[in-house]
Amino acid sequence: MSLKETFLNNPDRRYIMFGGKGGLGKTTFSAATAYWLAAQGKKVLVFSVDPQASLSDIFQQDIFGKGPVQIANNLWAEEIDADSHIKAYQNEIRKKILDMYGFDKVPDEIEQYIQAASAEPAMEESAIFDAVVDIVVKGDYDYYIYDLVPLGHALYYLSMAKVYDEWINRITKLREEMREYEQMVAQLKQQKQTEEDQILTELNFIKGRINASSRILTDRAKTAFYFVVVPEEMIILDTQKAAKLFAAYDVPIAGYVVNRVVPRELLGQSIPSYLKHRIEMQDKYLGQIRADLGDQVRAYVPELESDVTGLPMIEKLAGIMYGG
Amino acid sequence: MSEQPKKNLFQNLKEIIYGMAAHDMSRYAVRTRASMEHLFILITMGDLLGIPILPPYYSLRLLPYVVPQIATWKRRMLREKDVSDAMF
Repeated sequence: MSLKETFLNNPDRRYIMFGGKGGLGKTTFSAATAYWLAAQGKKVLVFSVDPQASLSDIFQQDIFGKGPVQIANNLWAEEIDADSHIKAYQNEIRKKILDMYGFDKVPDEIEQYIQAASAEPAMEESAIFDAVVDIVVKGDYDYYIYDLVPLGHALYYLSMAKVYDEWINRITKLREEMREYEQMVAQLKQQKQTEEDQILTELNFIKGRINASSRILTDRAKTAFYFVVVPEEMIILDTQKAAKLFAAYDVPIAGYVVNRVVPRELLGQSIPSYLKHRIEMQDKYLGQIRADLGDQVRAYVPELESDVTGLPMIEKLAGIMYGG
Repeated sequence: MSEQPKKNLFQNLKEIIYGMAAHDMSRYAVRTRASMEHLFILITMGDLLGIPILPPYYSLRLLPYVVPQIATWKRRMLREKDVSDAMF
């Protein structure tokens, strides 16, 4: 099945992800796919979950932290600004504390905690994770294209959903047990019903958000995850390892796209031996890719003569990937 | 008017029975509930004591609700006693 057919045959798949090691062309493929889908008349949002996002570079337009920015007809792009997301979130928490207790300022100890918590490395990822939930649950678009972070981070991102989920389930249970004791006391003392536990309400809210996100990531009907590989030994090995891990997290892998294939036709021309050797090396690994992944490979994309930046080049690449 | 003292007597009787039968139970339940509250704060706000337990992003959402308990919780957690001593 070609890349195009995987889209045409599975019209329910709305969440499209390209994953792979750094620098193999995830952003490029995300942009080209978004461009092609938009050209088919679908409303598309391509967004980056990478703190070092490069959608701005590929579209040659500064979109960082600006929300969804329209790039072309039907095509929007967004780069999430984790820092300002965290700041806004901190302020929301502070305001809530001030409102709830009528303080003039947040107590020092609490303020320190808010700042320390936000300095943790997990905070940025969590903030992006949360922002993504905001984006996808709104459901304003026909297609959501995730420009993912490199493999290791993507795995972390996926596992985070599971860890969060379990964490939340446990503390929700503890909270519910606490509630039982509270009700028991109320009954013994023959008081009226206890008031609503706001923490429990909050926990259920968090749980809903996390579940919404992990449901999407593992939904076979609605999600397609494509691995980007290039014909080089280490990358093939790493990708195979990653594919196993992804499968263990129930990520629906929709196939592989091989990038940076040096055109074989060049062999017929007088080319330097350096290039000849590269083509022969790639031949060897392409053979391995065919043997190992075979019909799972959705497209072979050639090494292009220039950078893919700006809409004309994106259009050209989309033509190569999806056959116009 | 003659109803009133009877009701008081009944009320008193009710309270005596409550005191004999249920007061201990409810005191125990209140204490368990308080211990669990502290355990809950430890799990969600462990960072406040330098024990990073889990995702700080979502625990911040819960922070406003535990602000009044933080001081007593810290005192209790940092006492030179095993946490579980307090539970039973």
